[in-house]
Amino acid sequence: MNVATEPVAALRGVAKSYRLDDIAVPVLAGIDLLVRPGQFTVLLGPSGSGKTTLLNLIGCIDRADAGQVVVAGQDVAALSDDQLADFRARHIGFIFQNFNLLPVLTAYENIEYPMLLAGLPAKKRASRVGKLLQAVGLADRARNRPGQLSGGQRQRVAIARALALKPRLVIADEPTANLDSRTGAEILGLMRHMQRHYGMSFLFSSHDPAVIKAADDTIFLRDGAIRSIRRKPESNAAAPLTDQTEADSRTHEDGPESKRDDKPDAKALNREMAGA
Amino acid sequence: MIDLLLAVRNLLRNRRRSLATLLALVIGTTSVLFFGGYRKNIEYSMVTAYAREGGHLQVQHQDLFHYGAGDPTRYSITRYRELIESIRRDAVLAPLVTVATPTLQLGGIASNFKDGVSRTVLGFGSVATERNAMRRWNEFGLPMDAEPYALDGAAEDAALIGTGVARVLLLCQALGLQDCPPRVEASQAPPTTATSALDAADAADDILPDDIASLALGAAAPAASNANGSGTRVDLLANSAGGAPNVISLQVLRAERQGFKELDEVFLALQLPTAQRLVYGNQPPQATAVMVQLHHTADVERARKRLQALVREVAPAEPLAVLDFRELNPFFVQTVQMFDTIFGFIFVLIGSIVLFTVGNTMSTAVMERTVEIGTVRALGVRRAGIRRLFMLEGSLLGLVGAGAGVGLALAGAALVNSLGLSWLPPGSGDRLPLLLVVWGETTTLVGTALGLVLIASASAWWPAHRASRLGIVDALRHT
Repeated sequence: MNVATEPVAALRGVAKSYRLDDIAVPVLAGIDLLVRPGQFTVLLGPSGSGKTTLLNLIGCIDRADAGQVVVAGQDVAALSDDQLADFRARHIGFIFQNFNLLPVLTAYENIEYPMLLAGLPAKKRASRVGKLLQAVGLADRARNRPGQLSGGQRQRVAIARALALKPRLVIADEPTANLDSRTGAEILGLMRHMQRHYGMSFLFSSHDPAVIKAADDTIFLRDGAIRSIRRKPESNAAAPLTDQTEADSRTHEDGPESKRDDKPDAKALNREMAGA
Repeated sequence: MIDLLLAVRNLLRNRRRSLATLLALVIGTTSVLFFGGYRKNIEYSMVTAYAREGGHLQVQHQDLFHYGAGDPTRYSITRYRELIESIRRDAVLAPLVTVATPTLQLGGIASNFKDGVSRTVLGFGSVATERNAMRRWNEFGLPMDAEPYALDGAAEDAALIGTGVARVLLLCQALGLQDCPPRVEASQAPPTTATSALDAADAADDILPDDIASLALGAAAPAASNANGSGTRVDLLANSAGGAPNVISLQVLRAERQGFKELDEVFLALQLPTAQRLVYGNQPPQATAVMVQLHHTADVERARKRLQALVREVAPAEPLAVLDFRELNPFFVQTVQMFDTIFGFIFVLIGSIVLFTVGNTMSTAVMERTVEIGTVRALGVRRAGIRRLFMLEGSLLGLVGAGAGVGLALAGAALVNSLGLSWLPPGSGDRLPLLLVVWGETTTLVGTALGLVLIASASAWWPAHRASRLGIVDALRHT
């Protein structure tokens, strides 16, 4: 299959439950999902709907109890713990709600860290870190540690770190939740820009209307099941942010629970979420 | 490299905790090394004392050590002169040996007829100039000044006695001993020996009774010796080789304190030719042992092997054995073993403290950095990478702590050694320098430091293992 067209993640019949004392609490059940490549995809749903668990499964930091999870063409259930670690390092970038930078490393070193793990040569690392710092607008903050940076700056470093090895998929769990609205918008714009620039797939969970507005694909979760998926045409996915969010409202059905929605503006999505 | 960087920075991140852990390590290492230095000082002091007095090796009749105390002269060496000559000429032994000298040990009764007291003594006849050379031995450079052997250059009838012998023979005043305990008046004291019943006129006199004097060997006329006025005289009665009693009058030059009270109260040293005349008369002289002192204690085994071969060559008919100073002085071995055991106990104690201190520090670090562990695992670090990171932190703590401990121990030991302190070992009459022999003790230094580094690393293992087993999702959720 062509890498450019194959789904970056494909889930079939995925189920996951957590144990609370001796009781199994189902979190996800019967999830079928294709995450399109090169898209800005957002997971929506109320608290406890299973967004983070779904992100964890696709991010290969957790394993499904049942079903199949294929990421970047690899059935991850077949991988050992070490293989999974290597797989994550190569194919998946993470952006966390709390930034999760290593506090003892500078901004430069935090971005360089995944490259060191991957064994990139020093020259290549230096060049790539420099470009990423430039791209996230922190070239002058390279020697600062996270404690010396603002929330927005930390998240910029986290974005650069997530993109350090040019992964096929970037997982972001509520990346703007801990930022004020203005900074959140900046970060969102940056992520959108980087996603387009590097042509990779971003998969978010978010409650932020701005994120929802910016998304190419929107997946609604409730009670551990996908309730609907709204997709914008791929042709418009790479269109300028302002254009595509407002102009193109057509969606494609995908999966048994997908539904057609001709006007998926942010307000409508929020209403749906509130209803859920 | 990134692991090392992370380890160092994480340790510096919580400076106070790392410092407290390091302090425990530094103090622990220093304590172990101080005690190790003290132990070495005792060992070296004892080796020095034994090597000076009896040499490193002795060739003896094989039964002298176990059965010779009652009658040493029964277990003597006939060809001792040939043996010594062979040692001095031998290509292997000669470079190793500082002194090879004979000694004659004998049992007898020393009497102070003037005061009517006597006691059994152990006599040691030796070549004074060679004994003097032995006393200069100082392989370990200890500040233990050896007094020149008083019999060196003295008359043939000269003798040294232990302060205990001097005390019992009531010679304290005559020999100018200051620390003899006061005694009740002689007139009130009960007679102590049969000799005190001797005629009062004779007892008050400074010369031997006629019957005893007639046994004495010719050269040293008691009256003439007394005439010089130095020291005082004792008479030594001993069995000759033929079994007949023989007596000699000796001029006591001085009393010397011996290491142990038991020896101090029986010790009498005299010139070898005098001792030989007393025991063997006109027969060929013999010796009870050939003492061999080496330049270096480490050469004992090498020298012993060669000496054994030499003994078989020179005196094949004599049942001789070569004993080292450890075999001749079981107290030394027991003392060293006791200090080794205490050292081991202290090391285990300190090691346990290090184990729990570093373990606790690393456990706290794992707890505090759970989210970071989840983060780096998500970024692609394997479980082994997490384990390595925390193990590295524990090892670094151990390395820095032990290194600083070694430095502090060396500096502290240098300071203590410069103070010129001394101490009185149990059972000893002489004060010894109080030294901490740390510098140059590579085995103790490296062994202690390495041991504590390994303990520190081992104590980080369990927290590191626990960190590596954390689930990524659980770790990321940790608050």
